Amino acid sequence: MSALRSFLVLLFAGFVAASPGAAAAEEPTDFISTLGTRAITELADENMSQVDRETRFRNLLNEHFDVPAIGRFVLGRHWKVASDEERAEFLDLFEDFIVRSYAVRFAGYSGETFAVKGSTPGPKLATLVHSRVLRGSAEPIRVDWRVEPRGEKLVITDVIVEGVSMSVTQRSEFASVIQSSGGKIEGLLEALRNKTITADTTGAQ
Amino acid sequence: MMALAGLVVLAGCAMPPTNDPEALAAYREANDPLEPMNRYFFDLNNFADEILMKPLAGWYYIALPNFAQDGVRNAVNNVRTPVILANDLFQGEFERAGTTFGRFLVNSTLGLGGLFDIAEKMGLERHDEDFGQTMAVAGVDEGPYLVLPLIGPSNPRDAFGKVVDAFLDPMTYLTFFTNVGWINTTRNGLDIVDFRARNLQTLDQIKKGSLDYYATVRSLYRQRRADEISNGNPNLMEGPGSEPEETSEVRPIIMIDPNASLDFLHDSVVKQGSMN
Repeated sequence: MSALRSFLVLLFAGFVAASPGAAAAEEPTDFISTLGTRAITELADENMSQVDRETRFRNLLNEHFDVPAIGRFVLGRHWKVASDEERAEFLDLFEDFIVRSYAVRFAGYSGETFAVKGSTPGPKLATLVHSRVLRGSAEPIRVDWRVEPRGEKLVITDVIVEGVSMSVTQRSEFASVIQSSGGKIEGLLEALRNKTITADTTGAQ
Repeated sequence: MMALAGLVVLAGCAMPPTNDPEALAAYREANDPLEPMNRYFFDLNNFADEILMKPLAGWYYIALPNFAQDGVRNAVNNVRTPVILANDLFQGEFERAGTTFGRFLVNSTLGLGGLFDIAEKMGLERHDEDFGQTMAVAGVDEGPYLVLPLIGPSNPRDAFGKVVDAFLDPMTYLTFFTNVGWINTTRNGLDIVDFRARNLQTLDQIKKGSLDYYATVRSLYRQRRADEISNGNPNLMEGPGSEPEETSEVRPIIMIDPNASLDFLHDSVVKQGSMN
């Protein structure tokens, strides 16, 4: 009887540990540590084709980044005046744009290691996880990750490399493109379409 | 000639939008009233980079073995010590000044005149300082964004800081008061070529990946400076928040609290360094 009870207790404990509820209790530092190591192993292989690298990068991006939230921030004040169609198209193009621009950068990262160096609380529910990318004899790169809880899981909403926020950089670039096309979001969408299309053809070589 | 320059500056001045508060906020955020002129020099600098600096840096990268490039970088860094030390002291950062001085002693002796960075391995991590940062810490505003011919992204504060740094650098006096000025010229040349060589891939990727290279570099420059001024501890609160989408508003990009303790990151860096 008591054997059965302890069996049930064990079973229940195992179930709790495996349930998504337990994932919410995951430490942001552990989350980044696992993800960073995984990203380097999966993306840095020099012999991988660019198409494969982009596919894997896109999977990681959609699984662990809140791309819509980043997209809204990056469009800034223009998000409010954009139509539903413009918003939807922007978010699609923005995802493609990130994949095109950033996946290729992992090509030279093989042999690098990744170390999480603690965290500090950010605004609201966000946590800033501090890490370093170690590159042999070269100076290590400081990378900070803004991590936020979304329901049961943790997501990344910004990556800050040596104090340079990817979201802030992207926002000021997009603002400049919109401004130079007379304040019209269509100008940005057009530029993004062109960028992702040309990248498509060059990527296929 | 002067009249022409004046005309370029006038024509280059974009007027701030007056009727739309959000457009005004964006205008202030870009802080680039001389944008047309800046873009002109940016293109010019890019051209000079493509035909001269990039090929030169490429040859340097290919011809010199890695250890030799590291030797060049270490030596150039070591020679810069007086400028860094003076600015550490100006900012009242005595612990960091101690690190800078300690690095100089170790690397000049054990590091064979600065060719090897032995101090780094002993946990004395390198940092940079300049007079532009010193003025920023003292509360001097950066002023509008500037692209200087052949020098690149800057602003009035940082441009003035560069001049002061030249006066703080003993090497400058070699040029003006001795007949071995070539030492200073060689140092400056190696510094620039080595820096460019170290950023061949990164800059190419940024250039290829961006829709508006000029605006990207402008943002990168500002954020890097904010990071350097705060000694790697800028306020990173800005970013995609967890707030509901419709209430998100445009706020200043990165604010630096002048009262924030700047020792925090330095301390943790030193500890991490000694742990490794």
